[in-house]
This record gives sequence, C-alpha cells and structure tokens, in this order.
Amino acid sequence: MVVSDQRVIGRPMPRADAPAKLNGQERFAGDLALAGLLHARPVLSTHAHARLVGVQSEAARAVPGVVTILTAADLPFAQGGPPRAAESLAREEIVYAGQPVALVLAESEGAAAEAAALVEVQYEDLPVVLDLVAAMDPGSPLARSLTKMGEDAAEAAMHGVGGGGAAEEAPQEKLSANVSGQTHLEMGDVATGFAAADVVAEGTYDTAWVHQGYIETQTCVAAPDGMGGVTIHASTQGLFRTRQVVAQTLGLAQEQVRVVAMPVGGGFGGKFGLIEPLTAAAALVARRPVRLGFTRGEDLLAANPTPAGRLEVKIGARRDGKVTAIQARLIFDTGAYPNSPMAGAAFAVAGCYHFPNLDIKGFEVMTNRLGPGAYRAPGNPQASFAVESVMDDLAGRLELDPIAFRLLNVPSEGDPRPDGKAWPIIGLKDCLERLSVHPLWQRRAARGATNGGRFREGIGVGVGGWRGGLEPAAALCHVDPSGIVNVVVGAVDLSGTFTTFRMIAAETLGVDYELVRVVGSDSTNAPYSGGSGGSKIVYTVGQAVQRAATDAREQILELAGQILEAAPQDLEIAGDRVRVKGMPAESDYEVTIAKIASLTSGFGAKHAPIAGRGTGAQTANAPGFSAHLARVRVDLDTGEVTLLDYVASQDVGRALNPAAVEGQIIGAVVQGIGWGLYEQLVHDENGQVVTGSLMDYALPRAEVVPHVETVLVEVPSPDGPFGARGVGEPPVIPVAAAIANAIHDATGVRPGAIPITPERLWKQIAAG
Amino acid sequence: MATHPISLTINGKGQQSSVESRRLLVHYLRDELGLTGTHIGCETSQCGACTIMLNGSAVKSCTLFAVQADGAEIMTIEGLAKDGEMHPIQEGFWEEHGLQCGFCTPGMIMSTYDLLQKNPNPDEHEIRHALHGNLCRCTGYQHIVKSIQYAANKMQGATVAD
Repeated sequence: MVVSDQRVIGRPMPRADAPAKLNGQERFAGDLALAGLLHARPVLSTHAHARLVGVQSEAARAVPGVVTILTAADLPFAQGGPPRAAESLAREEIVYAGQPVALVLAESEGAAAEAAALVEVQYEDLPVVLDLVAAMDPGSPLARSLTKMGEDAAEAAMHGVGGGGAAEEAPQEKLSANVSGQTHLEMGDVATGFAAADVVAEGTYDTAWVHQGYIETQTCVAAPDGMGGVTIHASTQGLFRTRQVVAQTLGLAQEQVRVVAMPVGGGFGGKFGLIEPLTAAAALVARRPVRLGFTRGEDLLAANPTPAGRLEVKIGARRDGKVTAIQARLIFDTGAYPNSPMAGAAFAVAGCYHFPNLDIKGFEVMTNRLGPGAYRAPGNPQASFAVESVMDDLAGRLELDPIAFRLLNVPSEGDPRPDGKAWPIIGLKDCLERLSVHPLWQRRAARGATNGGRFREGIGVGVGGWRGGLEPAAALCHVDPSGIVNVVVGAVDLSGTFTTFRMIAAETLGVDYELVRVVGSDSTNAPYSGGSGGSKIVYTVGQAVQRAATDAREQILELAGQILEAAPQDLEIAGDRVRVKGMPAESDYEVTIAKIASLTSGFGAKHAPIAGRGTGAQTANAPGFSAHLARVRVDLDTGEVTLLDYVASQDVGRALNPAAVEGQIIGAVVQGIGWGLYEQLVHDENGQVVTGSLMDYALPRAEVVPHVETVLVEVPSPDGPFGARGVGEPPVIPVAAAIANAIHDATGVRPGAIPITPERLWKQIAAG
Repeated sequence: MATHPISLTINGKGQQSSVESRRLLVHYLRDELGLTGTHIGCETSQCGACTIMLNGSAVKSCTLFAVQADGAEIMTIEGLAKDGEMHPIQEGFWEEHGLQCGFCTPGMIMSTYDLLQKNPNPDEHEIRHALHGNLCRCTGYQHIVKSIQYAANKMQGATVAD
C-alpha cells in the first residue's frame, strides 16, 4: 500500500449515486414515460440465411392500438451508414436467425407484442454457413451471398482492440470470401526459436459465444425534436459514439442528434449504439417518441455478444525455462458483421511473456450468426485460456513450478511487446510474486492429501494483461454561487467512476469531498470523452478532471488572494475555505469558497466566475496485468467442478477508491467463472439460438461462486491520475485459464474447450 | 380486451384499478402506478430484478397477473425507506458496496428483506442460497453478501435495543 498524505484518494468511498439506486428512484431508460410514447416490438427472422421475399402485416395492423409496422424500406436511412446499423431491419438478405425484419409501433406494450406475433415473413432459404473452419474453405457457401458490406473498424478501435501495428498482409493461403479480416504479428524467426527449444507444447482450444449478460437489456427511447433531429435517451456506454452511429445511419448532422446517457444497467462492452439507429428512425417516421427495449429473448438472439473462436497455440522452451518461440493460429467467428476480437486476441496471445520469436496469424470468419460486439477485454479471456494451458503443459514437462516458470518469462519495462513497441513499466512480475508466496500456493504440495477417490482437488494459476485504452477527454470544473464544485464530463458512470472523479477533484482542489458534485451531461452539452470501455475512463477522463480541478483551484486562490490581500502561493484550501498558510483560523485570514463564489455571480458582481478546464489526450498505454489462483474440486463421476478458493492479484497502479476497485475485480472474476464453467450461446445446425432465455443461458449465481480474495498491487503508471491504471478489463482475463489449470492439476485432464461443462469434462475423464 | 377491477394495498396505501386480464403485475406496478423501481430483466423468472413483497413473501412480479394480486398487500422497493430514513438493508448495500450498476439492486433488497424476516441471522451459505433467484452481473455477489450481513447485524442490534 502506498503511504501518502492524501485525504480522499486511497480511501474506500461509498457510491455517491447509491441512494437513488437503493430506494427505487433511479430512472433507467426503460423507466421514461414521455408523453405520446409509442411502444416498439421487433419481428425477428426465424431463418438464419434467406432472401427476404415479403412481409405480410395485414392481420397485425388490425390489432387495436397498432400505429404502424415498419420494414427496411420505411426507414429514413442514408447510404453508407455503419453496416450493421444499416441493416437494423433486414433488407434483401437475411443473414442470421434473430435479425429484426419489421418493427411494430403501438400504443401499448401489449398491442405491440400481440401484433408482432401476427406478422408473417416469407423466406427463400439460402445455404446456412455455421462451421468456422469449413467456412474458410474457398469452396464454402457464403454467409452473405446476395449483398456485400464493409468493415466497421471504428468500433473495434474504440475498445482498444485494434491490431496496434499488426501488419495486414496479403493472404498466403486460398481462403473463402467468408474470411472478412486477417492479422499477422511476426517477430524474429519461429523456426529458429523452435529449433532452440528443448520442449515444445501445443494445443487447440475452443471458446464459445458469450453474452455480456447485463441485467438491463438493450433499451432506448427516442423522440423527434421537431426540427428534423432526434433526442435519444439511451442505455449506452458511449454517448458520442452512439451519436455518431445514429447520425451516420440516418444521414443527419451530428448536431441534430442529442444523446442523453441514462444510468446503464450493465454494459460490459455491449452497449455502444446497437438499437438506437432503429429507434431514432422509428421516432422520426412516427413523429412521436418511441421506446424499444429488448426482451431477454430478443437480447440473446439479436444483440451483440462476443463470438466463438478456435485458438491453436504452440510454444517452445529451453530446459532452463526460457521460452523461445510462440506460433499461433486464431480463428474467430464474426457472425454476420465483421467486428470480432481477432486483433485483440492476437496481441494477447503473446502479451504476457517475452517471446523472442513469434508468428501469430488471426482470421475473422463470417457465418450466419448474429453480429458480435465487445465484451470486457475483447479476445483476451480466449487468448489467456489457450496460452496459459500451453504454458502449464510446458511447466509440467520441464518439471518447474508453474509460477516460477512464468516468472522466468514475464516481460518488464523496455522489453518488446508483440507488436515490437516497448513495454512501459508494468506490474505483472509483482502480481505473480505475490501469488507465489500466497498461502494457497504454498499449500499446493498438500493439495492431493484427499485425492484418490471420487473427488479430486487441484490448484491452478492463470495470467492476463490488458494494454489499456486511450482516447482524448475533457472535463469542466466550475464553482456555483453556493460554493458547490461541479465537475462536468461526457463520460458514462458504469461502476462508480463518477465517485472516483469526485475523489480526484476533491483531492486536487483540497476541498471537502462533500462539496463536489459530478455531472454527466449529454452529447450536445458535455465536453468530449471516450466511451466507458477499454478500462480507460479513470485513466483518460480522470486526468482531465484532475486538470480541470487544478485550473479551478488556481482561479479560487487567485480570487482569494485578492480578498485576503495575500499572494496565491501563500494560501491553502482546507475543507470549505481558503486560508493564509500558517495563520490561525480567524476570519481575517480566511474566506469560504461560498463567499468567493458569491462574488462571481449576481447583478453587478465584479469577478469572473470560477470555471476550470481540463483536457488531455493520453498517448501512452498504462497496461494492467492480473494473475489468479483457483482451487477446485472435481467430481470424477459427474464432471462437475466446484470452486473452493480464488485469489486475484492485479496491478491497479493506484487504487483511487479501493472499494470500487475490489468490486470491479470480484465482479470480473465471476464473469470469468461464467467464461470458464457455464456460459455459452448455442446455435443448432440451422443457426437457431437454442439458449434463448436465462433458463438456458447460464449466468453464474451467488451459490456457485466462491469467496474471492483480492490482492492489490500498486505499480503507479507514469501518466494516470495519482498513478492509476485501468482496472475493469484485466481481472476477467485469466479466470478460465486458472480454472482449467486447476482442473488439470486435479485430474490430469487438459480441457480443450470452454465452458468446461460437466458433460465435456466427464467425457474427457471417461476417455482417460 | 376484458378488464377486471382490483383492490389492493401498495406500500401502505389502498389502490383501486381496472386491469386487463393479460396485464402482468410487474407491468401494472411500473406502467400504471409509475413504481419503476421494480425492474424487468428476463421475463422468465430467472433474474429476480422484479422481486417484490406480496402478502409477506418475496415473489417475482413477472410471474403473476395483476388480477392475481387482487386483495393483496404489496411492498415494492419504493416502500422500504420510512420517513426518509433508509432501511438497514439499504444502508448495508450502501456501506458495503453491494451495488454497481444498481439494476438488480431493488430485487436483491426485496429478497434480502424476505430472508432476514425468516432468518434474522443467516450465515454466508444461507445468504447465497437465498439469493439463488437473483442475478447480479456486476458485483460477483461478494459485497452483496457483506451488505446483507451488515443489515442482519444492524437489525439484530435494533431488536436487542428494543
């Protein structure tokens, strides 16, 4: 723990916005009841790949309360909008089962649902493309055979999942047009590297389609502004990104779209403007406010989960434990729209160890499944599962302690990243060292004391890292006439970041935490900020808040100096007032901020208002690494895995609000448990989602998750506010790997696919 | 669509309404009474975001028609705080960081209310078992467990003091 004299930073602070959420007064997007509101219900395709022949809606239109039923031809969409948004309602070609084909607008939810069920769609079936590997073959049918579309690169970039210098190369093998993207990272010469290796381990690892699982489904209310534009109340992680998508899709100027970010009932990467273009278009057509909130079934069929992948990884190491080379071939499903985490995974595969030689090829393949979106650390949990499994096999063959083996190979400051750039200061080594001396790892030798019967225990380690996202950000900090300090940002509070901003501003200004407010404004009024994703908000917007508070502080001291007839540098801010340093707390030597602020407002007032401005464009990543331990018990008779203990260490740079940081880590670990043991969106052989409700799609419940011990490592980042690094992404990454390695430790069986369901594991155990 | 008169007590106040046969209780509470603190997360009674207290027991309000609540006594999240004072359960969720996005929170609090009324001193296993019908995607449940322990302690202390 860092020893400091900071008053606010580093203390566990309760959520500033908790009361409204605790007493039912918080208004989420679906709670807005605008006058004249219409309720929307989509009609989803029941075929995965088809020519859309026609839509029969006479019976549906006859339902009392139905106002209109829209199809693609009715939408005021411009040419050249983002591909997926442009097909918010299917046009000529239906490309996945669940794709919206029509949208019912009605006076009530009930009427809309009743009518949607009566809409009949005529299909002319086309070959359904589902098998990832087969779809890459030049002879494969195409997932999109009637129409073409481009790549939506901006969305991938905003999550920090871009190739980061990855060279795009001409394809070296003959591939189907289903392959919509490729990436290639290369360093040194892997043939030489493997030749120098004493041991080589390799494996193929399959990962599933996984849904972000936010409890509040995709929800949005759009209302025409009467001047051709639209105001959108959205459950979105990024108001500027959503504004851009809507404006591009509808052919509006960005200023004609005002996005108001409502409290988000969970996002995790999945809420960056999915249903907003359609809802906005419907509102403009109907000239009335429209609410579209997906049902859970619709969200599982038609939102944007993260896609399945197949990762082939081969790593060589010398007898002394040094890795010599990594070769990997990653294939990611990208469903009907190119937006897979291929590039992020390619980096992550080689992102935790110093491989002198590497050759990583990534492929993104279109199929007739729904289009993917980002999900917390896109591509990284998959990469970690594959690489950490192979690293564990290598440690076994080298007869090295798995943590010691990893410590021999972790990069440190100045070592090359997979893309050739140098790593800045990182805390991966520290995270692993903390685990190596942890009692759970120390007791590992005794873990098998009860092994030998039906139940086997094992302990595994996993490692993961996140480069950290970057995006310019600005913040304002003004003091209102009552002396309250208002911080205005364009970011969205997902997990308590506004509370952290409040702490940053209070610490920087020197005022009481209670005097500070943080306001998230709308896309028209807020200063720019990136979307709340990629573990970048505290790192980027937090810096802007710190700078805005510094600016405001200087203005306060300047004005106080005039009042107290002292030089600003001789003044200090304490609590709610400014006083002359070293002088007693008497009125002659101090003035309240409220008093100062009162002199900057009102008719005839003589001083300019205090309004601080903070801007920044972070250019250096502040990577966050995490290393985890899992202890499991495996029932050999059923294949069931029980998690007994869990330890998560993470370099957070500086835990500005330890309560929020620990909450993020524990929550991410449980999402990782979902990755490892439970969650998968399953499509049948016709491309139908067969896990279309939360009865079938298994989110982790309180009873099946263990107590998670957090170990906070603080290696300050050079540029983050008070040394902070991004926290949200790293802790989800190594979980599946740690669990898989614990299962291997317990049973000797090496899981080749996640989630590791009882059926899968039992089959592997039974096969010996 | 046929409508039915219903009469019930909600958060201590009498309420008469006429509801469609197909109207779910959760939609009645949210859309007709404006009690939007009760949330909808799944429609198949898996997530528990719509949990309310009905005649003294926690129920998922998406599993009942409004007509079935005729004559019932209902408490929603809006009815928990008294005279502006947070209930110890709400206080516990605040103090112990039992919420992140806050969407599952009202349902979690209602299930906790039910639990602590039946078992004032639950251990961690009993708490986790009592939450098996409520999904949270943000917190990983651990701080929710701590919040409930906080509330149980506080409520027991209050009982002793009485």
